[in-house]
Amino acid sequence: MKNLNRRDFFKSAALGVSLTVLGTSKAKGSDKMLSDDRLGILVDTDVCVGCRHCEWACRVAHNLPTPDLDNYSDNSVFKEYRRPDAGSLTVVNKFENEKNPLLPIHVKVQCMHCERPACVSACIVGALTKGDDGSVVWDDDKCIGCRYCMVACPFQIPTYDYDRSIDPHIRKCDLCTDRRKNDELPACVNICPNEALLFGKRDAVLAVAKTRVKRKSDVYVNHIYGEHEVGGTSWMYIARKSFDKLNMPHLAANPAPGISESIQHGIFAYFVPPVTLYALLGTIMWITKRRSGDDDELISDEEEKGKGGKL
Amino acid sequence: MNKIYFIIIPLVLVCCLLGSNPKLQTKNPKMEENMVLLQDKIKKKKMPENPYENMMQGLKCQSCHAGDYPNKNDPMLRACLRNSMLATFHFSPEGPDEVVIDAMSENYNGVAFSHKIHAQMSDMSTGCSGCHHYNTSGRLLSCLECHDSKRSREDITVPDLKAAYHRQCLTCHKQWFHENGCSTMCHTRKTSNSTGSVQSPPSVKGKTHPPLKEPMKMVWETNSETGKIVTFFHNEHNKIFNISCETCHKQDNCLKCHENKKHDDYSGTVKIKKSFENHHKACIDCHKGSSCQKCHRDSEREPFNHVQSSGWVLKSYHSQLSCAKCHGSQTPYKKLDRNCTSCHKNFITGNFEHGKAGLVLSENHKGMECISCHTGSDFSKTPECKTCHDDKSYPAQSPGKRGRK
Ligand code: SF4
Ligand code: SF4
Ligand code: SF4
Repeated sequence: MKNLNRRDFFKSAALGVSLTVLGTSKAKGSDKMLSDDRLGILVDTDVCVGCRHCEWACRVAHNLPTPDLDNYSDNSVFKEYRRPDAGSLTVVNKFENEKNPLLPIHVKVQCMHCERPACVSACIVGALTKGDDGSVVWDDDKCIGCRYCMVACPFQIPTYDYDRSIDPHIRKCDLCTDRRKNDELPACVNICPNEALLFGKRDAVLAVAKTRVKRKSDVYVNHIYGEHEVGGTSWMYIARKSFDKLNMPHLAANPAPGISESIQHGIFAYFVPPVTLYALLGTIMWITKRRSGDDDELISDEEEKGKGGKL
Repeated sequence: MNKIYFIIIPLVLVCCLLGSNPKLQTKNPKMEENMVLLQDKIKKKKMPENPYENMMQGLKCQSCHAGDYPNKNDPMLRACLRNSMLATFHFSPEGPDEVVIDAMSENYNGVAFSHKIHAQMSDMSTGCSGCHHYNTSGRLLSCLECHDSKRSREDITVPDLKAAYHRQCLTCHKQWFHENGCSTMCHTRKTSNSTGSVQSPPSVKGKTHPPLKEPMKMVWETNSETGKIVTFFHNEHNKIFNISCETCHKQDNCLKCHENKKHDDYSGTVKIKKSFENHHKACIDCHKGSSCQKCHRDSEREPFNHVQSSGWVLKSYHSQLSCAKCHGSQTPYKKLDRNCTSCHKNFITGNFEHGKAGLVLSENHKGMECISCHTGSDFSKTPECKTCHDDKSYPAQSPGKRGRK
């Protein structure tokens, strides 16, 4: 099993690097047609009340250490801006609402499940994949813990479980793949008291977002975050305040692989020798292994012969 | 990140201090002693005599029916227009005192909702339709009729039932948290020995809202350099100009008064340091083209008087009309042309029934041009016979018979 993976890894490393070096790299998945039925989730920050039940449910669903739900009434966590970490795949942050200080704005953060995920194209061993349903999931068996995905992600989402660097674990929202297999809604969507997280087919969800923004044009800014950002994302947001002010990165509409490629190029610019070495080594190993396969036969023949000679 | 808070927190504190400094902020309005009870006024509102009159507000048959001859078997219905209709013809006193919501009571006991006190509070803003939204006239629809009780559903354009309930509560009670609100005010967990009977928490049980009072006149002393005094006639806007409560109070929710827990005290309203725009928005929305002096004066203003502000005396017929009838629905109201024909398009020679003005013209005056007698088209003056006649019989005969027809 592990051997196979290693071999896979070297193959893809060699392939990845040679493609990158040649500069003809085509992002994985960018050719792939996205299914019309792929999923989407709309976060309506005007409806979210910041109860953080979604945080709680997400932890429970992923068997992460979970404090009692009653502890989630503590408002003081909002004092600092938080990011998802290895212990919580999603977090809710609070922002001022200048128009009405009594009704602050809450914004849930998690992996956006990009339509053209930079993490997927950055991962050199194919541990991250974009599924037909739109979800971007991580494979425990393939990950080598290089953390390229963390650098590539325009939203700085994947987190690394530093406590277990021997058996590396990248953690991020997986769109509750396991729950959905059992016909259950993602845990956060299911628990939200206000349905601030609207789950459905991406097209339908986007249509609802458009209607809400249009109907309450005096409330919402005319921008659906995630509709076009980095080529579109599965999670989308609407809000009454410009997204720059909600700590959402300002991103252009060109797909993230472009970004990740340039990041990769950037990284490789510094790391060319070792990477080329890797590639060379990989290629050499691959070739020698094939050869050694032949050699093995030769050797064994010789050995047999030798043995035979000895005998 | 921490550093930012070191900057933000003192900033916020300074802003708060500035905001609460009476010299810098607009002073709380002086309330005139004469307040009107809003509830009385609402009780006096009448249901429309012809229910269809209101039902048809802005609607044509074609708004709902696609074909020309809809019938019982084939009503030819279009997609429901609810989203663009807001019409609930009910008044708060009609509502029940308490409503038990238990449509989703698998894990929790039902919720006893104190309907009465909420209905009373809504009188100041959106009325019944604030919660009973998208209801056509006629009976009130139950939430379940539109909101699906399952979250995983086909049509996601309408929130599911759980969200619909919670959104109603949490729009105002946004400060409620798990054990500090939700579980004390509404939800009790179902246990094996819970009786299933639902009761309002004692703090709201049977409570009614103190009568909402509408101010007649408010006077502010502002920090404006010129024209310190701003007088606002609340009752005029409401009664004479027919502006409904929600036109201005739409964005206000309960928190506006209740944050300081001083429900019965006007000074308890939250003082928010507003920007120039926000401070003036409520007025400017209608009074777009007006100069500052319209509101900012050196002394208190007199109430609205049509003669004084326009020079046009509203006599018998005109005094009974709403402003919009002549000035149109677009505010701020524009000056009108004083020519009768600018409104009364059919008041032309041969068409105008002169009897309406109190004089039925005699045969020989009937066919004459209006301006023959009303020289200079000045219809406010009664013409004098001598401008035309030097006849000796004048003034024994008038050009017709006195009286209306
Ligand atoms: S948000 Fe980041 S981790 Fe999630 S799919 Fe996009 S690139 Fe990958
Ligand atoms: S979809 Fe699942 S994994 Fe992602 S934030 Fe929600 S609960 Fe967590
Ligand atoms: S559960 Fe829903 S309302 Fe509560 S914080 Fe999460 S998204 Fe917001």
